Amino acid sequence: MPDEVPSTAVPNLPTHVSTDEESSARSEFSWKDRVLQLGDASTDSWWRGVPTSLAIAGLITILGLWIEPVIRGPNLAIFYMLAVVFSAVRWGQWAVIINAISSAFLFDYFFVLPYRSFVIGDVWYLITLVGLLTVGLIVSALMVATREEARAARRREMRVSALYSFTQSLASGNEFDQILDAVARHCVEIFQRPIVVLLPAAEGLIVRFASAELVFDANENKTASWVFENGQEAGCGTASFSGSRIRYRPLKTGPDIVGVIGVQTKGSKDLLPPDQRELLGIFLDQTALALTRADLAKKAKRAEVLQEADKLHRALLNSVSHNLRTPLASVLGVLNTILEDASLLDVPTQQSLLKTAQGEAKQLDWLVQNLLDMTRIEGGAIRVKAEPCDVHDVVAAALRQLGESARSHAILVTIAPGLPLVPMDDVLMVQVLVNLLDNALKYSSADAPVEIRASLAAGQLEIGILDRGRGIPEGELERVFDKFYRVAVPGAPRGSGLGLSICKGFVEAHNGRILAKRRTEGGTEIAVFLPLEKRRE
Amino acid sequence: MSSPGLRVLIVDDEAGIRGFLRASLEAHGYSVNEASTGEEALQVVPAFRPDLILLDLGLPGVGGKQVTSCLREWTQTPIIILSVQTDESEKIAALDAGADDYLTKPFGSGELLARIRATTRRIGQQDSGPVFVTGDLTVDLAGRAVRLGDKEVQLTPTEYSLLKAFVIHANKLLTHRQLLREVWGGAHYEDPQHLLRVNINNLRRKLEADPARPRYIITEPGVGYRLKTEQHVSGAPSGA
Repeated sequence: MPDEVPSTAVPNLPTHVSTDEESSARSEFSWKDRVLQLGDASTDSWWRGVPTSLAIAGLITILGLWIEPVIRGPNLAIFYMLAVVFSAVRWGQWAVIINAISSAFLFDYFFVLPYRSFVIGDVWYLITLVGLLTVGLIVSALMVATREEARAARRREMRVSALYSFTQSLASGNEFDQILDAVARHCVEIFQRPIVVLLPAAEGLIVRFASAELVFDANENKTASWVFENGQEAGCGTASFSGSRIRYRPLKTGPDIVGVIGVQTKGSKDLLPPDQRELLGIFLDQTALALTRADLAKKAKRAEVLQEADKLHRALLNSVSHNLRTPLASVLGVLNTILEDASLLDVPTQQSLLKTAQGEAKQLDWLVQNLLDMTRIEGGAIRVKAEPCDVHDVVAAALRQLGESARSHAILVTIAPGLPLVPMDDVLMVQVLVNLLDNALKYSSADAPVEIRASLAAGQLEIGILDRGRGIPEGELERVFDKFYRVAVPGAPRGSGLGLSICKGFVEAHNGRILAKRRTEGGTEIAVFLPLEKRRE
Repeated sequence: MSSPGLRVLIVDDEAGIRGFLRASLEAHGYSVNEASTGEEALQVVPAFRPDLILLDLGLPGVGGKQVTSCLREWTQTPIIILSVQTDESEKIAALDAGADDYLTKPFGSGELLARIRATTRRIGQQDSGPVFVTGDLTVDLAGRAVRLGDKEVQLTPTEYSLLKAFVIHANKLLTHRQLLREVWGGAHYEDPQHLLRVNINNLRRKLEADPARPRYIITEPGVGYRLKTEQHVSGAPSGA
């Protein structure tokens, strides 16, 4: 297999160890590393330890010759045995064999009668020699197996820790960009290959991340799209689109394909080793899950917004249907009564009924107008045709529009002398003043005058509408400008809860401000501030 | 208070509105004809020869503004626009094109009849003498003199030509554009709206006792101004 690069690549795995448990696990590996030689695998060739083993055998021989007068020759075999076991533990098969054979010969030559010859006089020594070799080989075989296991365990640990840190970064964000960032960072780091991530959008599959060195052209896009549609791998090293230098894998959650990841090969044959491929598979599953989760989170949020809007709609519908139907019911009632019972009613009664109907119909017209204005504000359809206007002019037009109610109630107008012309849309501002005055008059007793004051304040035009009505409770001064908000007062005049929010909409369309204040001696002041400079557009 | 023989053409696509207008106008002695589209109106006018046209702005097909321009090519028959509040710009266009006044729906028959009377009277008065009097205000067009009660009022030449335009078209709604054309001619100014409003402001300060409750020069927000005359309600004028 060309992509059979043994464990060599594994120790290059970066380890993102941060927790205490993991660092202790690591230090455990460190002593094993030293004994089992798990460290640098580049010295892992068959002759490793062979020279040292030979040297150790020689050293034991010299030592043996020195202490032979004390310890009898045959007993020295135990030292050779120790050396063989040591070689077996520390190196490998070959070191053991060389050590065992050389030990056997040295022992035979120096310490077995007849000395200084390879002739074996006693059969017992032969057994010692064979034993030496056997023990060495068995120990070395055991050690090799242990070492392999330790290496596999280490590889597993690396993988687990890589995966752990990957899933942790995936879990840290619910946004597509955060997920893509985590995928890109970890994949490039772990697999050391340029990668490309493609996700579906309205206009088809689009590249959401690509390493700088990756070449992605129209052909590649076609391959990726094929992968997305068929849910199968394609590109380098597969049966389909094998001309590509990128290997594409689908991101799947169950039957759904949520995207495509491509990993570029370095040479034409350089594919990922099997264990890395397996790791990549897990990465892809995790990525797919995270992307699905992000998608669901987005949908959930949208659903929440819709629900909010729905709630508002329902409130609107309730208010509108109530406000529309009440006057309509009166009008219909009056009309039906007069049509059916005209002969039973005297003229003054009919007149008074018709007056009621007229008032209700006017109320209805006013409400419809307010609803239309609100729609215009909310739809952003308010176009302010700001022309320099005389404040007198606007106030006068508002008073005239109020008609009878403005004439029958005392309204004090105080306009500071020398006011400049102020840019405003007089149609809108007249309506603002009409709404505010209408409110003020509605909530004032007949003998309490309503005031209009206009002056310059801090480079702005301030128009105040002041009344001596009930006043707005402290906590509701801001909320009165909310749509459909009405201060709860028993027996208050009827209203739609739209007048003030329309005023706010119109004033803000002028780049102005509107606020409600409590007057210290009782009553309300609504202050409108308008900039003196025309807005540059 | 009847208007024998005064002929009114109602142009509106809503049968309900036409019915209501016809009923109240006929009750006051007007003779009425109807048209439901702009095209029909343009055909009916030469045959019916109305003294006044009530023209709805929201007509399907040929709109109110177009009907006004077409009619103004050959007749000065007074036109009163019937509009809803959302027609703002179309309304101004129709007034600029030569319509005489407007009424915003919904309106009562009293308001309608008053507006019709004012318009027809104004047309009838066009050749009235050189001295114009309303309330305390006297304008002598021949002598270029303006008096408020017994006191002479000093006006700049621009203010005077503005007042003169109002007097000539007393009670008629004059759009900003019409006033600018009438007083400043075709000359181009940096900010004509500003110019107009400053002069109106000055004129009011000289003529009105309380500028916040003007007696003579009335603002129609977003549209223009009119000089309101304080006249006793006389019998309906006969003929235009």
